[in-house]
Amino acid sequence: MKYLDIILFKTWADLRAEASRAYIGFLWWFLEPILYMGAFYLLFGLGLRMGGDGFVYFLLCGLIPWKWFSSTIANGSRAIEAGAGMIQQVYLPKIVLPTIIVAINSVKFLMILPILLLFLWFSGYVANQVWLALPLLFVLQFLLVWSLTSFCAALVPYVQDLRYVIENGLLMLMFLSGVFFDLDKLSPLMKSVLYLNPMALLIENYREVLLEGHWPNTSELIYVFAFSLMFGLMATWCLTRFDRRYPKVL
Amino acid sequence: MTGRTLLELDNVGIRYRKKISLFSGEWHWAIRNMTFDIRAGETLGVIGHNGAGKSTLLKVLTGILAPDEGQVVRHCDSASLLTVNLGFMPHLSGRDNAILSGMLMGLSRQDVKEKLDGIIEFSELGDSIDEPFRTYSSGMKARLGFGVAFAADPDIILVDEVLGVGDRDFRIKSTAAMKEKINSDKTVVLVSHNETMVREICDRLVWIENGTTMAQGDVEDVLGQYAEASGKR
Repeated sequence: MKYLDIILFKTWADLRAEASRAYIGFLWWFLEPILYMGAFYLLFGLGLRMGGDGFVYFLLCGLIPWKWFSSTIANGSRAIEAGAGMIQQVYLPKIVLPTIIVAINSVKFLMILPILLLFLWFSGYVANQVWLALPLLFVLQFLLVWSLTSFCAALVPYVQDLRYVIENGLLMLMFLSGVFFDLDKLSPLMKSVLYLNPMALLIENYREVLLEGHWPNTSELIYVFAFSLMFGLMATWCLTRFDRRYPKVL
Repeated sequence: MTGRTLLELDNVGIRYRKKISLFSGEWHWAIRNMTFDIRAGETLGVIGHNGAGKSTLLKVLTGILAPDEGQVVRHCDSASLLTVNLGFMPHLSGRDNAILSGMLMGLSRQDVKEKLDGIIEFSELGDSIDEPFRTYSSGMKARLGFGVAFAADPDIILVDEVLGVGDRDFRIKSTAAMKEKINSDKTVVLVSHNETMVREICDRLVWIENGTTMAQGDVEDVLGQYAEASGKR
């Protein structure tokens, strides 16, 4: 309870500090993802002429959740090392550190999501009752992002080399998660392998809801939940087990 | 003078791993077989030469490290280091850092907010409290650290000897505030290698060398043994 308060306060303080640092402050929370998406749109939508008419919507529904996932893991896996100055001076349950990064990035995702929804709406993808499934997708992705980020954060202080694996793994996973193309068009064998990746399933379900007007696929969501639960438990176990040992390896 | 036991160390050992190659490494004991206790209301001195394991010991007492061997038994909520460096974050304002550190030292957010005016006054920061911490001078950083640590008022105050920070006026003020704590009913652990200071303020003394407790008890007795050993070095 006490540590929940610390998580909330630190998240709020970090967001405010970030906003006051740049000249145009918190506008960057919107501009940065727009620039990021623009770069991919230029490359794949205009440059390589992939996808056809609806491609920009298809791309956005994949990129926005992907950005939340990848930047959180990339930052959050270094959370314990980044907090070294603090945890050498005062005791703090280490699980708090990656959780703060996850919270910060989740807030940023929640700021950009309404913009995506409005953009879709004005483009003819009218809001309907299926959009009510979005909070569920959000919660599931939050659990997934939290569990994987905490898991990476728990291991990286002991195995520094993992940082390079994570960095490049994320890049590879971006191409395998169906951000840029529809995994359904692949051969059944490829499909069954690539859909083991929970992010591929989530992106697929975001598109089903936002673009196709279908309810999410329950069994896929259960799989994502089970996957997150497994990594979340492993992360919690490691972080608790080594809680008062991490300061020694930093 | 001394009351119930607040914290007991029973044959505590902490080891670090020195990496040699990918799969091999060797353990190095920073402290081992360390046994003593801290009693309510006393001022306990810990004396030892450089490299005796004092900073590792402080990390055990604050709960930052768990013992690899032996055990630490706590009968109190908090033991905090009275230090100029509370692990402040450079990008946050002094105010946010103060609140965060206060919370980490066991206060609720509400408590810290109530004590904030006192902290700002003690640390003489004025309006600078809302500036980012990275813009502070080392004196300002030290003052803020002290202000928060005093306000947090833990059950056991750990003091690392090297307090010579900040300008002269603040040094006098912080030393006075510290002595006030020491003279009151607070439980204080003073880690030092300054014999004069130890003699002046400690009720009991523990001498550590090479990570192990060599002697403990009456201040004069222990200092005598310490001086004798130092002469031989």
